[in-house]
Amino acid sequence: MTAWAIEAVDLVKRFPRKAQAETGETRDGEAAASQRRPWWPFGKKAEPAWFTAVNGVSLGIARGEVFGLLGPNGAGKSTTIRMLCTLLEPTAGTALVNGYDVRKQPNQVRQSLGTVLGGERSIYWKLTARENLEYFAALYHIPPDLAKRRIAGLLERMELTARANDLVEKYSSGMKQRVAIAKALLARPPIVLLDEPTLGLDPQAARRVRELIGELKAEGHTILLTTHYMEEADQLSDRIGIIDQGQIIALDTPAALKELIGQKDVVRLEIANWHPDMDTGLRRLPGVSNLVMRRLESDSLWEVNLQADSSRAILSGIIEGVNQNGTRLVNLNIVKPSLEDVFIHLTGKALRD
Amino acid sequence: MAVQLEPYAPVPSLARDDFPAKLRAQWAVFTRAWTIFRRYPTWVAAVLIWPVIFPAVYILGARALAGPDGRGLAAFVQATGIQDYIGYIVVGTTVWMWQNIVLWEVGTSLREEQLRGTLESNWLTPTWRFSFLLGSSASQLIEMILFLGISYIEFSLLFGVQFQGNPLLALLVILLCIPSIYGMGFTFASLVITAKEASAFVFLVRGVVMIFCGITFPVLLLPEWMQLVAGWLPQTYMIEAMRMVTLGGADLRAVAPDLAALAGFGVFWLAVGFLVFGWMDRRARQAGTIGQY
Repeated sequence: MTAWAIEAVDLVKRFPRKAQAETGETRDGEAAASQRRPWWPFGKKAEPAWFTAVNGVSLGIARGEVFGLLGPNGAGKSTTIRMLCTLLEPTAGTALVNGYDVRKQPNQVRQSLGTVLGGERSIYWKLTARENLEYFAALYHIPPDLAKRRIAGLLERMELTARANDLVEKYSSGMKQRVAIAKALLARPPIVLLDEPTLGLDPQAARRVRELIGELKAEGHTILLTTHYMEEADQLSDRIGIIDQGQIIALDTPAALKELIGQKDVVRLEIANWHPDMDTGLRRLPGVSNLVMRRLESDSLWEVNLQADSSRAILSGIIEGVNQNGTRLVNLNIVKPSLEDVFIHLTGKALRD
Repeated sequence: MAVQLEPYAPVPSLARDDFPAKLRAQWAVFTRAWTIFRRYPTWVAAVLIWPVIFPAVYILGARALAGPDGRGLAAFVQATGIQDYIGYIVVGTTVWMWQNIVLWEVGTSLREEQLRGTLESNWLTPTWRFSFLLGSSASQLIEMILFLGISYIEFSLLFGVQFQGNPLLALLVILLCIPSIYGMGFTFASLVITAKEASAFVFLVRGVVMIFCGITFPVLLLPEWMQLVAGWLPQTYMIEAMRMVTLGGADLRAVAPDLAALAGFGVFWLAVGFLVFGWMDRRARQAGTIGQY
């Protein structure tokens, strides 16, 4: 048995894609337009442009660990997880899951994994929760008598026993997600992959899922969790890999990652009547770096995050710089660094961009 | 970096990898497909109405062309050797409908799973992936047995068709039709996952069957090059053998060449279906198309 539950070395996944009409530029910067002759239907086809979704990901996840893969949408989290669970073949690199090679021993890999991928759409809505679990128990080759006991136990644990014989189409999103998680746990897999397990859930349902992840860890399961909710990754993970543009840009414990920001202060402002010139003004303040802003969904306020060598030294400058020409500083907080701030520190952009 | 964790308590998996477990998985796919099929009640209307509606168009056309006293039928009898023109039409249209329904239902079974979002869930289990196609086809076959049974009753009661001949031989013809029809269905199911669209394929194949295989007329009426094409289509032999047995009272020796052709086509199409499925699975793993809808 290897030391790692999951070990990936230089995983790469490239997809061919249609070249952009104008430039043919891809993330890799490969120009494709110059090779195409759109008016000529015969002859040699143009070389496809390539999109690199995952670019040399290496990581090791210890047995019994909760590992969070954190990154914005499109960063390569789901592509990585799909390679690990054998849905996708890596273009290059290797990965071992529970000691089995994802290319050469895909069946053993699948026997070692429970996966929540696609959330509530991953189960049959025209079947009941019990029928879904009986079906997937058979697909995981669990003996019938064992499956019956296991299903009863999981329905109880997911608080679904009372509705177990109702069609899933009548369930709430949270209940459907619980069925999907129960499905992943049927075979009591040593490793559980959870791809955005709380996406689209109400706060109460999301909290229940997070509690469940803690329980699974206590039972000895290894958990790989992908999420773009930084608080969730922070709260649940022993270690976190931050992924951006297909590459792991930082990997450590949440506390160690936050220390990357060092002695800097994180200042969070809420500003009314924001106008773009103010961006430059704030950046000119001494010791200010990594300024990102976003419009708050609830009203016309803008939230501005910046990192500073010393917040005390710039407070008066911020107040003077903001409160002019009808712009108003509504709120100012000096906050503890979060994983979002780490991401901003590493990439210069917000996770939600 | 060092990972500080509490002592690891291994979790023994409950998954088994023996032959009975694989058979149970196959059975589970079949029962799941059959249960979901039954939960859409519109299937009852389809199974009851289609066997009558589709051939009725051709039967009424034939009546109109034959004239009020049926004088024109003499030419038909001379060309086909069969008196019962209604029986002749319903046999052809039933084979066509069988192939058409299989192309739609088996051919789109994986695509429907993909659209529903459940294809990845199935693909993530250790079950042999071809089982999913076999299981949904088995469920569809039960539906078709029901369809053929209802067709038989409706043709007898509503159209007055008198089927004759050896019922066991007719059953043998039906059994030998299955591999070709479902092998084509497997091939379609795999191609549709790649192309993400079924209707163009289905319209093409059913059009070819309708024109070349003589569902309402003898193939001998076609130009020579079309007869050559018809010779490469298993549906031609299905229709021919079924008409000879159920309407002409032919014995095993008479239909043996057709049955041999059907057996050969069956092996061919099952092999093509299996190989195309394997190609699709490999391509989907490379291109990431299983989860895309």
